Amino acid sequence: MSDENNIEHKVNHEKKYSIFQIAMNLTVTCFVSGAIIAGTYFITAPVSVKTAAKIKTDAMKSLVVDAQKFNPVEGKKEWFSAEKDGKIIAYVVPAESKGYGGAIKMLVSVTPQGKIIDFNILESKETPGLGDNASKDPFRNQFKGKVAKDLEVVKDATKVDNIQAMTGATISSKAVTKGIKEATQQVTQYVGGK
Amino acid sequence: MRELWNIFKKGIIAENPIFVLALSLCPALAVTSSAINSLTMGLAVMFVITANNTVVSITRNIVNPKVRVPVYITSVATIVTVVQLVLQAYLPVLYKALGIYLALIVVFAIILARAEVFASKNKVTPSFFDGLGMGCGFALALLSIGVIRELLGTGAIFGIKVLGSWYNPALIMILPPGAFILIGYMVAGFKMWTQHMEKVKLERGEI
Repeated sequence: MSDENNIEHKVNHEKKYSIFQIAMNLTVTCFVSGAIIAGTYFITAPVSVKTAAKIKTDAMKSLVVDAQKFNPVEGKKEWFSAEKDGKIIAYVVPAESKGYGGAIKMLVSVTPQGKIIDFNILESKETPGLGDNASKDPFRNQFKGKVAKDLEVVKDATKVDNIQAMTGATISSKAVTKGIKEATQQVTQYVGGK
Repeated sequence: MRELWNIFKKGIIAENPIFVLALSLCPALAVTSSAINSLTMGLAVMFVITANNTVVSITRNIVNPKVRVPVYITSVATIVTVVQLVLQAYLPVLYKALGIYLALIVVFAIILARAEVFASKNKVTPSFFDGLGMGCGFALALLSIGVIRELLGTGAIFGIKVLGSWYNPALIMILPPGAFILIGYMVAGFKMWTQHMEKVKLERGEI
Protein backbone atom coordinates (compact mmCIF):
# COMPACT_ATOMS: atom_id res chain seq x y z
CA MET A 1 0.00 0.00 0.00
CA SER A 2 2.57 2.56 1.06
CA ASP A 3 5.09 1.26 -1.51
CA GLU A 4 2.64 1.80 -4.28
CA ASN A 5 2.03 5.34 -3.12
CA ASN A 6 5.71 6.11 -2.86
CA ILE A 7 6.24 5.02 -6.44
CA GLU A 8 3.35 7.15 -7.55
CA HIS A 9 4.87 10.08 -5.74
CA LYS A 10 8.27 9.53 -7.34
CA VAL A 11 6.80 9.37 -10.82
CA ASN A 12 5.05 12.65 -10.19
CA HIS A 13 8.31 14.23 -9.19
CA GLU A 14 10.16 13.05 -12.25
CA LYS A 15 7.61 14.32 -14.71
CA LYS A 16 8.52 17.51 -16.45
CA TYR A 17 5.99 20.26 -16.08
CA SER A 18 5.86 23.34 -18.22
CA ILE A 19 5.77 26.67 -16.45
CA PHE A 20 2.32 27.17 -17.95
CA GLN A 21 0.94 24.07 -16.25
CA ILE A 22 2.38 25.15 -12.91
CA ALA A 23 0.96 28.64 -13.30
CA MET A 24 -2.44 27.22 -14.22
CA ASN A 25 -2.37 25.00 -11.17
CA LEU A 26 -1.83 27.96 -8.87
CA THR A 27 -4.36 30.10 -10.74
CA VAL A 28 -7.06 27.46 -10.40
CA THR A 29 -6.25 26.98 -6.71
CA CYS A 30 -6.53 30.69 -6.00
CA PHE A 31 -9.67 30.97 -8.08
CA VAL A 32 -11.38 28.14 -6.21
CA SER A 33 -10.24 29.54 -2.87
CA GLY A 34 -11.50 33.00 -3.79
CA ALA A 35 -14.84 31.60 -4.90
CA ILE A 36 -15.29 29.68 -1.65
CA ILE A 37 -14.43 32.70 0.50
CA ALA A 38 -16.64 35.00 -1.57
CA GLY A 39 -19.53 32.55 -1.26
CA THR A 40 -19.12 32.28 2.50
CA TYR A 41 -18.85 36.04 2.83
CA PHE A 42 -21.97 36.49 0.76
CA ILE A 43 -23.89 34.35 3.25
CA THR A 44 -22.30 35.50 6.51
CA ALA A 45 -21.83 39.25 5.88
CA PRO A 46 -25.46 40.28 6.46
CA VAL A 47 -25.62 38.05 9.54
CA SER A 48 -22.42 39.45 11.02
CA VAL A 49 -23.58 43.04 10.48
CA LYS A 50 -26.73 42.18 12.41
CA THR A 51 -24.76 40.39 15.13
CA ALA A 52 -22.38 43.34 15.48
CA ALA A 53 -25.29 45.76 15.81
CA LYS A 54 -26.97 43.52 18.36
CA ILE A 55 -23.77 43.22 20.39
CA LYS A 56 -23.54 46.99 20.44
CA THR A 57 -27.07 47.57 21.69
CA ASP A 58 -26.67 44.73 24.19
CA ALA A 59 -23.43 46.29 25.42
CA MET A 60 -25.16 49.66 25.84
CA LYS A 61 -28.17 48.06 27.51
CA SER A 62 -25.93 46.34 30.04
CA LEU A 63 -24.25 49.67 30.76
CA VAL A 64 -27.48 51.60 31.32
CA VAL A 65 -29.97 49.06 32.63
CA ASP A 66 -32.96 51.42 32.94
CA ALA A 67 -32.65 52.90 29.47
CA GLN A 68 -35.55 52.46 27.08
CA LYS A 69 -34.03 54.03 24.02
CA PHE A 70 -30.61 54.96 22.69
CA ASN A 71 -30.18 57.95 20.41
CA PRO A 72 -27.03 59.07 18.67
CA VAL A 73 -25.79 62.40 20.00
CA GLU A 74 -25.56 65.09 17.36
CA GLY A 75 -22.13 66.44 16.60
CA LYS A 76 -20.34 63.72 18.57
CA LYS A 77 -19.15 60.61 16.83
CA GLU A 78 -20.16 57.32 18.42
CA TRP A 79 -21.88 59.06 21.33
CA PHE A 80 -25.25 57.83 22.45
CA SER A 81 -27.71 59.24 24.92
CA ALA A 82 -29.80 56.83 26.93
CA GLU A 83 -33.36 57.95 27.45
CA LYS A 84 -36.00 56.96 29.96
CA ASP A 85 -39.48 58.52 29.78
CA GLY A 86 -38.16 61.18 27.40
CA LYS A 87 -35.41 62.28 29.79
CA ILE A 88 -31.73 61.72 29.23
CA ILE A 89 -30.49 59.58 32.08
CA ALA A 90 -27.03 58.76 30.78
CA TYR A 91 -24.52 59.16 28.01
CA VAL A 92 -22.73 56.18 26.54
CA VAL A 93 -19.42 57.33 25.15
CA PRO A 94 -16.40 55.57 23.72
CA ALA A 95 -13.08 55.80 25.52
CA GLU A 96 -9.64 54.78 24.48
CA SER A 97 -6.26 54.65 26.14
CA LYS A 98 -2.96 52.92 25.76
CA GLY A 99 -2.55 49.86 27.93
CA TYR A 100 0.15 47.27 28.44
CA GLY A 101 -0.48 45.43 25.19
CA GLY A 102 -1.77 48.23 22.95
CA ALA A 103 -4.92 50.28 22.69
CA ILE A 104 -7.80 49.54 25.05
CA LYS A 105 -11.17 50.47 23.60
CA MET A 106 -13.98 50.95 26.04
CA LEU A 107 -17.55 52.07 26.27
CA VAL A 108 -18.36 54.17 29.33
CA SER A 109 -21.78 55.16 30.61
CA VAL A 110 -21.92 58.41 32.54
CA THR A 111 -24.87 60.29 34.04
CA PRO A 112 -25.41 63.89 32.91
CA GLN A 113 -24.18 64.85 36.40
CA GLY A 114 -20.82 63.29 35.60
CA LYS A 115 -21.13 60.13 37.67
CA ILE A 116 -19.87 56.89 36.21
CA ILE A 117 -22.45 54.17 35.90
CA ASP A 118 -20.42 51.37 34.38
CA PHE A 119 -17.95 50.58 31.65
CA ASN A 120 -17.28 47.84 29.18
CA ILE A 121 -14.06 46.85 27.44
CA LEU A 122 -14.70 46.33 23.74
CA GLU A 123 -11.23 45.58 22.57
CA SER A 124 -7.94 45.05 24.36
CA LYS A 125 -4.76 43.05 24.17
CA GLU A 126 -3.96 43.02 27.87
CA THR A 127 -2.28 40.01 29.45
CA PRO A 128 -4.84 37.23 29.87
CA GLY A 129 -5.40 36.49 33.52
CA LEU A 130 -3.87 39.78 34.64
CA GLY A 131 -4.69 42.96 32.77
CA ASP A 132 -7.76 41.58 31.09
CA ASN A 133 -9.38 41.12 34.48
CA ALA A 134 -10.15 44.84 34.27
CA SER A 135 -13.55 43.99 32.85
CA LYS A 136 -14.38 41.81 35.86
CA ASP A 137 -15.21 42.53 39.47
CA PRO A 138 -13.81 43.58 41.92
CA PHE A 139 -11.87 46.03 39.74
CA ARG A 140 -14.82 46.95 37.59
CA ASN A 141 -17.40 47.78 40.24
CA GLN A 142 -15.04 50.23 41.91
CA PHE A 143 -15.98 52.77 39.28
CA LYS A 144 -19.70 52.81 39.99
CA GLY A 145 -20.91 56.20 41.17
CA LYS A 146 -17.48 57.79 41.15
CA VAL A 147 -16.73 61.21 39.63
CA ALA A 148 -13.74 62.17 37.50
CA LYS A 149 -11.66 63.63 40.33
CA ASP A 150 -11.74 60.38 42.32
CA LEU A 151 -10.32 58.40 39.44
CA GLU A 152 -6.80 57.94 40.72
CA VAL A 153 -5.11 54.56 40.80
CA VAL A 154 -3.71 53.72 44.22
CA LYS A 155 -2.18 50.64 45.80
CA ASP A 156 -3.30 51.59 49.27
CA ALA A 157 -6.30 49.49 50.25
CA THR A 158 -7.47 52.07 52.82
CA LYS A 159 -8.22 54.71 50.19
CA VAL A 160 -11.67 53.49 49.28
CA ASP A 161 -12.55 56.67 47.36
CA ASN A 162 -9.96 55.90 44.73
CA ILE A 163 -9.36 53.00 42.38
CA GLN A 164 -7.41 50.03 43.70
CA ALA A 165 -4.94 48.72 41.14
CA MET A 166 -5.20 45.09 40.06
CA THR A 167 -2.37 42.97 41.44
CA GLY A 168 0.31 42.55 38.82
CA ALA A 169 -1.43 44.81 36.34
CA THR A 170 -0.77 48.38 37.40
CA ILE A 171 -0.30 49.62 33.85
CA SER A 172 -3.61 48.15 32.70
CA SER A 173 -5.37 49.54 35.77
CA LYS A 174 -3.97 53.00 35.13
CA ALA A 175 -4.81 52.87 31.43
CA VAL A 176 -8.42 51.84 32.00
CA THR A 177 -8.85 54.48 34.70
CA LYS A 178 -7.33 57.18 32.49
CA GLY A 179 -9.61 56.32 29.58
CA ILE A 180 -12.71 56.41 31.77
CA LYS A 181 -11.61 59.65 33.43
CA GLU A 182 -11.20 61.37 30.07
CA ALA A 183 -14.56 60.13 28.87
CA THR A 184 -16.24 61.38 32.04
CA GLN A 185 -14.60 64.79 31.69
CA GLN A 186 -15.77 65.01 28.10
CA VAL A 187 -19.33 64.29 29.15
CA THR A 188 -19.22 66.92 31.89
CA GLN A 189 -17.83 69.40 29.38
CA TYR A 190 -20.50 68.54 26.86
CA VAL A 191 -23.35 68.77 29.34
CA GLY A 192 -21.96 71.97 30.86
CA GLY A 193 -21.49 73.61 27.48
CA LYS A 194 -24.98 72.84 26.27
CA MET B 1 -11.08 -0.23 11.14
CA ARG B 2 -8.17 -1.24 13.37
CA GLU B 3 -5.79 0.55 11.00
CA LEU B 4 -7.80 3.77 11.18
CA TRP B 5 -7.84 3.60 14.98
CA ASN B 6 -4.05 3.25 14.99
CA ILE B 7 -3.72 6.26 12.69
CA PHE B 8 -5.99 8.25 14.99
CA LYS B 9 -4.26 7.07 18.17
CA LYS B 10 -0.72 7.93 17.17
CA GLY B 11 -1.54 11.64 17.09
CA ILE B 12 -2.61 11.56 20.70
CA ILE B 13 0.33 9.78 22.32
CA ALA B 14 3.11 8.38 20.15
CA GLU B 15 3.35 11.43 17.89
CA ASN B 16 1.69 14.08 20.03
CA PRO B 17 2.18 17.39 18.18
CA ILE B 18 3.26 19.34 21.26
CA PHE B 19 4.98 16.87 23.56
CA VAL B 20 6.66 14.61 21.01
CA LEU B 21 6.87 16.37 17.65
CA ALA B 22 7.32 19.77 19.38
CA LEU B 23 5.54 21.53 16.53
CA SER B 24 3.37 24.64 16.93
CA LEU B 25 4.78 25.48 20.35
CA CYS B 26 4.09 29.17 19.78
CA PRO B 27 0.30 28.90 20.25
CA ALA B 28 0.88 26.41 23.05
CA LEU B 29 2.68 29.19 24.88
CA ALA B 30 0.52 32.10 23.81
CA VAL B 31 -3.07 31.04 24.31
CA THR B 32 -2.86 28.57 27.18
CA SER B 33 -3.11 31.06 30.03
CA SER B 34 -6.63 29.85 30.77
CA ALA B 35 -8.36 26.53 30.24
CA ILE B 36 -11.22 27.90 28.15
CA ASN B 37 -8.90 29.69 25.71
CA SER B 38 -6.84 26.52 25.32
CA LEU B 39 -9.89 24.42 24.64
CA THR B 40 -11.38 26.73 21.99
CA MET B 41 -8.01 27.07 20.28
CA GLY B 42 -7.51 23.30 20.36
CA LEU B 43 -10.93 22.67 18.83
CA ALA B 44 -10.37 25.29 16.11
CA VAL B 45 -7.05 23.71 15.16
CA MET B 46 -8.61 20.25 15.25
CA PHE B 47 -11.26 21.36 12.78
CA VAL B 48 -8.81 23.10 10.44
CA ILE B 49 -6.26 20.27 10.41
CA THR B 50 -8.92 17.63 9.71
CA ALA B 51 -10.52 19.69 6.94
CA ASN B 52 -7.18 20.54 5.41
CA ASN B 53 -5.96 16.94 5.46
CA THR B 54 -9.14 15.92 3.66
CA VAL B 55 -8.79 18.62 1.01
CA VAL B 56 -5.11 17.90 0.44
CA SER B 57 -5.82 14.20 0.15
CA ILE B 58 -8.66 14.69 -2.33
CA THR B 59 -6.56 16.94 -4.55
CA ARG B 60 -3.29 15.03 -4.14
CA ASN B 61 -3.27 13.71 -7.70
CA ILE B 62 -4.05 16.98 -9.45
CA VAL B 63 -1.76 19.26 -7.46
CA ASN B 64 1.56 19.81 -9.13
CA PRO B 65 4.34 18.71 -6.73
CA LYS B 66 6.39 21.79 -7.62
CA VAL B 67 3.78 24.14 -6.25
CA ARG B 68 2.32 21.89 -3.59
CA VAL B 69 3.34 24.07 -0.63
CA PRO B 70 1.67 27.25 -1.95
CA VAL B 71 -1.40 25.17 -2.74
CA TYR B 72 -1.47 23.73 0.80
CA ILE B 73 -1.07 27.20 2.30
CA THR B 74 -3.91 28.51 0.12
CA SER B 75 -6.07 25.62 1.25
CA VAL B 76 -5.34 26.23 4.95
CA ALA B 77 -5.89 29.97 4.51
CA THR B 78 -9.23 29.37 2.81
CA ILE B 79 -10.45 27.05 5.56
CA VAL B 80 -9.32 29.43 8.29
CA THR B 81 -10.97 32.40 6.60
CA VAL B 82 -14.23 30.50 6.26
CA VAL B 83 -14.05 29.52 9.94
CA GLN B 84 -13.37 33.16 10.82
CA LEU B 85 -16.30 34.47 8.80
CA VAL B 86 -18.68 31.89 10.22
CA LEU B 87 -17.56 32.48 13.81
CA GLN B 88 -17.83 36.23 13.35
CA ALA B 89 -21.40 35.91 12.17
CA TYR B 90 -22.75 33.22 14.47
CA LEU B 91 -20.46 32.99 17.51
CA PRO B 92 -19.06 36.51 18.02
CA VAL B 93 -18.05 35.82 21.62
CA LEU B 94 -15.80 32.97 20.60
CA TYR B 95 -14.48 34.99 17.69
CA LYS B 96 -13.51 37.78 20.05
CA ALA B 97 -11.85 35.41 22.51
CA LEU B 98 -9.66 33.78 19.86
CA GLY B 99 -8.73 37.14 18.36
CA ILE B 100 -5.52 37.23 16.40
CA TYR B 101 -4.63 33.60 17.08
CA LEU B 102 -7.39 32.38 14.82
CA ALA B 103 -5.73 33.99 11.80
CA LEU B 104 -2.39 32.62 12.92
CA ILE B 105 -3.63 29.03 12.50
CA VAL B 106 -2.73 29.48 8.82
CA VAL B 107 0.98 29.28 9.59
CA PHE B 108 0.89 26.54 12.23
CA ALA B 109 3.68 24.14 11.45
CA ILE B 110 1.68 21.08 12.50
CA ILE B 111 -0.99 21.64 9.83
CA LEU B 112 1.47 21.99 6.98
CA ALA B 113 3.50 19.09 8.36
CA ARG B 114 0.52 16.72 8.31
CA ALA B 115 -0.43 17.83 4.78
CA GLU B 116 3.10 17.19 3.54
CA VAL B 117 3.94 14.06 5.53
CA PHE B 118 0.62 12.25 5.50
CA ALA B 119 -2.30 13.65 3.53
CA SER B 120 -0.40 14.17 0.27
CA LYS B 121 0.51 10.48 0.20
CA ASN B 122 -2.58 8.78 1.56
CA LYS B 123 -6.20 8.17 0.72
CA VAL B 124 -8.98 10.40 1.99
CA THR B 125 -10.23 8.30 4.93
CA PRO B 126 -6.84 7.68 6.58
CA SER B 127 -5.95 11.35 6.03
CA PHE B 128 -9.15 12.41 7.73
CA PHE B 129 -8.37 10.26 10.76
CA ASP B 130 -4.76 11.39 10.82
CA GLY B 131 -5.93 15.00 10.97
CA LEU B 132 -8.52 14.18 13.60
CA GLY B 133 -5.98 12.32 15.75
CA MET B 134 -3.33 15.01 15.44
CA GLY B 135 -5.91 17.71 16.17
CA CYS B 136 -7.16 15.74 19.15
CA GLY B 137 -3.63 15.32 20.49
CA PHE B 138 -3.00 19.02 19.99
CA ALA B 139 -6.24 20.00 21.71
CA LEU B 140 -5.61 17.67 24.66
CA ALA B 141 -2.04 18.92 25.06
CA LEU B 142 -3.22 22.53 24.99
CA LEU B 143 -6.02 21.78 27.41
CA SER B 144 -3.72 20.08 29.92
CA ILE B 145 -1.25 22.98 29.75
CA GLY B 146 -4.10 25.46 30.10
CA VAL B 147 -5.68 23.72 33.07
CA ILE B 148 -2.38 23.46 34.97
CA ARG B 149 -1.42 27.07 34.23
CA GLU B 150 -4.80 28.43 35.23
CA LEU B 151 -4.86 26.33 38.39
CA LEU B 152 -1.38 27.34 39.54
CA GLY B 153 -1.65 30.92 38.28
CA THR B 154 -5.09 31.86 39.54
CA GLY B 155 -6.30 28.96 41.67
CA ALA B 156 -9.23 28.36 39.32
CA ILE B 157 -10.20 26.02 36.49
CA PHE B 158 -12.47 27.30 33.71
CA GLY B 159 -12.92 30.44 35.81
CA ILE B 160 -14.28 28.48 38.81
CA LYS B 161 -12.28 28.79 42.00
CA VAL B 162 -11.12 25.37 43.16
CA LEU B 163 -8.31 26.28 45.51
CA GLY B 164 -9.30 28.14 48.66
CA SER B 165 -8.08 31.51 49.79
CA TRP B 166 -5.07 29.84 51.45
CA TYR B 167 -3.57 29.47 48.01
CA ASN B 168 -1.40 32.35 46.90
CA PRO B 169 -1.51 32.29 43.07
CA ALA B 170 1.85 32.05 41.33
CA LEU B 171 1.49 34.86 38.82
CA ILE B 172 4.41 33.62 36.76
CA MET B 173 2.36 30.64 35.62
CA ILE B 174 -0.06 32.75 33.58
CA LEU B 175 2.77 34.81 32.12
CA PRO B 176 4.81 33.49 29.17
CA PRO B 177 7.78 32.28 31.28
CA GLY B 178 5.42 30.01 33.21
CA ALA B 179 4.40 28.36 29.96
CA PHE B 180 8.03 27.72 28.99
CA ILE B 181 8.81 26.17 32.36
CA LEU B 182 5.67 24.04 32.41
CA ILE B 183 6.02 22.78 28.84
CA GLY B 184 9.61 21.79 29.61
CA TYR B 185 8.53 19.70 32.57
CA MET B 186 5.60 18.22 30.66
CA VAL B 187 7.76 17.17 27.70
CA ALA B 188 10.20 15.55 30.15
CA GLY B 189 7.36 13.82 31.99
CA PHE B 190 5.86 12.60 28.73
CA LYS B 191 9.23 11.20 27.67
CA MET B 192 9.71 9.41 30.98
CA TRP B 193 6.26 7.89 30.74
CA THR B 194 6.69 6.63 27.16
CA GLN B 195 10.11 5.17 28.03
CA HIS B 196 8.60 3.43 31.02
CA MET B 197 5.81 2.02 28.86
CA GLU B 198 8.32 0.71 26.34
CA LYS B 199 10.25 -0.99 29.09
CA VAL B 200 7.12 -2.64 30.38
CA LYS B 201 6.27 -3.88 26.90
CA LEU B 202 9.82 -5.16 26.45
CA GLU B 203 9.64 -7.09 29.69
CA ARG B 204 6.38 -8.66 28.62
CA GLY B 205 8.09 -9.60 25.40
CA GLU B 206 5.64 -7.76 23.18
CA ILE B 207 8.28 -6.13 21.07
